[in-house]
Amino acid sequence: MLARSRTLPKTALIAFALAALITSPSGAADKRSMILATTTSVRDSGLLDTLLPEFTEATGIRVRVIAVGTGAALRMGREGNADLLLTHAPASEKVLVDEGIVTRRTPFMENFFVIAGPAKDPAKISSAISPEDAIRRIDAAGAGWVSRSDDSGTHKREKALFHAAGLDPEADRDRLVRTGTGMGLSLQIAGERRYYILSDIGTFLAFHKRVGLEVLSKPGSSLRNIYSILQLDSSRFERPLHTSEAEELERFLLTKKTQRAIGAFGLDKFGRTLFTPLKLADDAHASPVSK
Amino acid sequence: MLDPELQTLVEITLRTLWVCGSALLLALLGGVPIGILLGSSQFISRGLLVSSVNAGMGAPPVVVGLIGSILLARSGPLGSWNLLYTPYAMIITSTAIALPLVIGLTLAAVGSLDDEWELQVRTLGIPRHWRIWLLIREIRMGLLAAVIAALGGILSEVGAVNMVGGNIAGETRVLTTAIMMHTSMGEYEIAMSQATVLFGNLLLLAGLLTWLQQSGRKR
Repeated sequence: MLARSRTLPKTALIAFALAALITSPSGAADKRSMILATTTSVRDSGLLDTLLPEFTEATGIRVRVIAVGTGAALRMGREGNADLLLTHAPASEKVLVDEGIVTRRTPFMENFFVIAGPAKDPAKISSAISPEDAIRRIDAAGAGWVSRSDDSGTHKREKALFHAAGLDPEADRDRLVRTGTGMGLSLQIAGERRYYILSDIGTFLAFHKRVGLEVLSKPGSSLRNIYSILQLDSSRFERPLHTSEAEELERFLLTKKTQRAIGAFGLDKFGRTLFTPLKLADDAHASPVSK
Repeated sequence: MLDPELQTLVEITLRTLWVCGSALLLALLGGVPIGILLGSSQFISRGLLVSSVNAGMGAPPVVVGLIGSILLARSGPLGSWNLLYTPYAMIITSTAIALPLVIGLTLAAVGSLDDEWELQVRTLGIPRHWRIWLLIREIRMGLLAAVIAALGGILSEVGAVNMVGGNIAGETRVLTTAIMMHTSMGEYEIAMSQATVLFGNLLLLAGLLTWLQQSGRKR
């Protein structure tokens, strides 16, 4: 009889746990949802948390945001693992457009990259005439450089800058650190080592007090950072994409109201705006906020 | 009304407990019978199975996560299930991480029973299904150790659940992935409060289970 009396509480426990398993809350079963693959810089800035609730409320579409590097986001699009992409690497995006995987590429906002470094500025890049000149000065002075090395949009830009400066981005140099990790951690490594680094302005502002680095570059066209919406060709994939949801989200991001919200974003958190909307050109409120 | 930050913390904590609890339950339901079966029977391929369980106990969770995310992706073989980036994908992955731990420790507990016990039970002529319960009762210390090890493993796991869950706000964000994200955003205060809650949960659960183990020993 001993064994039987022991089984009772155990069976009850298992039944309870199974019931909890089945009835537990989940948002995964929503009627309309889509996967938005985007870059960590967009997620980390908090912009989407500001914009998306309104979209979900208006349309009932749940947006599942997967934040990865631009390289990984483009790969997700190529393989049909995302419904819409939001990336910032024009050259790599155009490859997907040429291949027909991306049916429409719409630049919708921009900000800029900065070259940050220690306030002492050992390579004297604050007096450089261009970002490329700054990179050449860092190289010539043998100053330390932190490279993202993670195929993110920022890393792609970093390589393009080195190319434009006439340098080989893959070459081994003294005092070169390849982090292979996100912007925040890379900035902290640069801060600890007192090295130079390329960063998007949003992440830099979130970290600059903690890492003690300064913006030493002047804005130049080669530091423009354009974010685009990429619609994918659903017919290429075995399993259809949520194209109508993706198109609704694109329309939402391009409305004047959303574009204005993008232009105002960051004022309360950083005391300055982070993005310049690109689809307000004919609007009186449009004004360049990058400086 | 709770302030939104606290509300998010509560929501993430509940989801963490739900995902880990479900995975633990599934791992126990599957792992304990397999462990007992492997531990108390003899067959030719047993050695091979036992060594693969032992290897599984040391399997890097991040590899489990990688395999899970490839299998469950829309373009992957199980893509039609539409499970990637859902809590269910996290439960499956966590179960896969916990299962070898549960099997391995059950196996060890059964193995540590002395032969006399087996002989006693047999000579007493106790029916087979009662023998199983007696066995479970006999190895309950070992089973609790399995529960503690499996729970600790999946509660503190971050790489695999981030890969298959995607750390989606309100859907698949759990304490560990939230800590990672807020750290990468430079929001150390939020990350620290979540870390405190995670650690508190681990302490509480480990304490509870240890208490169960100790009080079981006295009986």
